[in-house]
Amino acid sequence: MNFLVRNSNLRSFIGAGYPIKYIQGICNTSTSSSTTDPDAPDFDMENPFEKEKQQCVLCKHNIEVDYKNVRLLSQFQSPYTGRIYSRNITGLCKRQQQLVEREIKKAQVAALMPTYFKQPSYLKDPQLFDIEKPLRPHRF
Amino acid sequence: MITYELMLLLRTMPKPELHGVLKRIATAIFDKGGVIRKLDNLGHKDMPYKTSSHGVVYNKASYFLYEFTVPPSSIDTLLDEYGRDVDIIRRRIYKKNEENKFKCTLDEELQPPPYRKEVQEMIAKARRLDKPKFSYNNGMDYYPFQK
Repeated sequence: MNFLVRNSNLRSFIGAGYPIKYIQGICNTSTSSSTTDPDAPDFDMENPFEKEKQQCVLCKHNIEVDYKNVRLLSQFQSPYTGRIYSRNITGLCKRQQQLVEREIKKAQVAALMPTYFKQPSYLKDPQLFDIEKPLRPHRF
Repeated sequence: MITYELMLLLRTMPKPELHGVLKRIATAIFDKGGVIRKLDNLGHKDMPYKTSSHGVVYNKASYFLYEFTVPPSSIDTLLDEYGRDVDIIRRRIYKKNEENKFKCTLDEELQPPPYRKEVQEMIAKARRLDKPKFSYNNGMDYYPFQK
């Protein structure tokens, strides 16, 4: 009982400003190693300040890339030259970029999508990425 | 069995004639022992680029999509058969996409180079080509080679 009280005290005491994971870590320690030293830090706990993993747009929203979905594919195409933007500009993961490139080429040979320009009706579609600010510099 | 998708561009023609053409295309699949799973009309629209086939230049086409299953060996004959059809402007057969299940690797790709696994592997591979080097801490108290 004493223990619980102390535990809850600790919770309210640290409460603000720290991630929940961290507080839980502290509380767990006090319960497990109470026989030796209740205030001993738990060095085996996972990093409570670890950042969330980044995901690319297509993976995040779980979008299947298909050659018939021309509107989606045309967003990865330059409106000036019809070229497919590379990975440093689109910000896709390696596998998704591969898929996008493959599907665009399939759509182009099936005469669903132009090769030297973007379809004019899709020119005002929202931008998925900033062309002027690539993730990594490129040679163009 | 593999499911294929046939992307068809047909020339502009009246409905009864179109009906006949679609039926002819379907019978070709049935003759090969195939099964049609889906037939979609994707509309009559402008092509992104002009195409000439059988001596005529086309700017517009009606798009159709067949989803079907045939033995893989008959794909070539099907394409050949459709290629000789005067009403077909363009035809492509693709395998139907399966659902991809993979994890996003963007986070690892955005790491600085020395932390990336592929860069580490590349460096390790290059190190393998290094010439063998004599190490001094091997217990011998003299240098065995000529200096």
